[in-house]
Amino acid sequence: MKLGFLSIDTGTILFTLANTLILFFGLKHFLFKPVNRILEERQTAVDQTLKDAEDARDRAETAETTYQEKLEQVKEESAEMMRSATRRAQKRSDEIIAQAKAEAAGILQQNAEELEREKRRAEQELRSEVSGLAVMVAEKVVEREINPQDHARLIDEFIDSVGDVQ
Amino acid sequence: MALFAIPKVLQGPEELNVEGPKVIKTFEIFGLKINFTETVVLEWIVMAVILLGAFLLTRNLKVRKVSKRQAIAEMAVEAITNLVRDTMGKRWLWFTPYIATVFCFSIFGSLISLLGVRAVTSDFSVLLCWAAITFLLITVTKIRYGGVKGYLKGFVDPIPVMLPINILSEVSTPTAMALRHFGNIAGGSIIMGLIYYGLANLSRIIHLQVPVLTVGIPAFLSLYFDLFSDFMQAFIFIMLTMVFISNAGPADDETPQTN
Repeated sequence: MKLGFLSIDTGTILFTLANTLILFFGLKHFLFKPVNRILEERQTAVDQTLKDAEDARDRAETAETTYQEKLEQVKEESAEMMRSATRRAQKRSDEIIAQAKAEAAGILQQNAEELEREKRRAEQELRSEVSGLAVMVAEKVVEREINPQDHARLIDEFIDSVGDVQ
Repeated sequence: MALFAIPKVLQGPEELNVEGPKVIKTFEIFGLKINFTETVVLEWIVMAVILLGAFLLTRNLKVRKVSKRQAIAEMAVEAITNLVRDTMGKRWLWFTPYIATVFCFSIFGSLISLLGVRAVTSDFSVLLCWAAITFLLITVTKIRYGGVKGYLKGFVDPIPVMLPINILSEVSTPTAMALRHFGNIAGGSIIMGLIYYGLANLSRIIHLQVPVLTVGIPAFLSLYFDLFSDFMQAFIFIMLTMVFISNAGPADDETPQTN
């Protein structure tokens, strides 16, 4: 027996309803539940990985900042050390130069004093010699003894005038 | 005549019958005659195929290094989930397995005709059942969001004169859905039957022992009437189901068109 082409059959409707519900629960249980669980797990894993990556990046950034600061500090310190060393060296060299100058000046001074003294002594010697000589010459000229004490003023005047000529 | 007998199965159709499914057995429950038809057996075959497929696709699911089978299962689930989300909104995501059920049932129920049996979906009762489920869900949704009063009031909206037209439009929704699907699949099978019948007769007219003309030519038409039409009707049916049901409730807070 066959139904009509466009028949509405209660039995078929009821069986189809039952079958549809069975297929609905079957697909839900065998396809959607396991696949959705896996998709969720993957999503969780991906989220976790992203979070870890972000944490790692944050840590790296913090470390970089710290190192940068330390580097700056070290650079600053070394520059400071260089500057103070330069300053010290400059000071030292200035001191040495000043000392050398002072020494040189001292030596020059001493030499000049020495010279002056020599000159004085020579003058003194010359003076006493010339005075003796002058007395002698005068004795010869006047043919009599001249008492140097008596004529000391005279002799000195003479020597001074001779010295001036020089 | 022929030198040897050509088997009858190879001689092509000799007659064309347009009739409904075979009744295998008839029960009587509470005075109600219940027919157990060919369609139900075919439904069981289709269900078995779908469930076996789902079962095999979801063996050994892994979070990483997915197999091809798993990739197919995930793609299918995600595609249908996205379709439901985009069409109905997030609120209706629980509804996804039902849409998948009707879609698979419809497609495989139609494609089973390629094996030479009646398509499940060329039985009007099947489509009527699915349309009735849609109608039920539309009504439940309307009552749930509008209350029984609001639902009844909708029939005399905007003026009481509209009552018969509103009832008609309410009933015509599932009827049109069922008839559209049924008409396309059943009509397609009649057209394909006519083509086979005609080509077999044409072969007989030109004295071919075997209806060679029925080889090849119908395949191209079958591409449309079986493959394309089966797919389209299944898609149209689930789209209409989703749109009608989601339109029965208020608009989703979020815009349904995401992505």
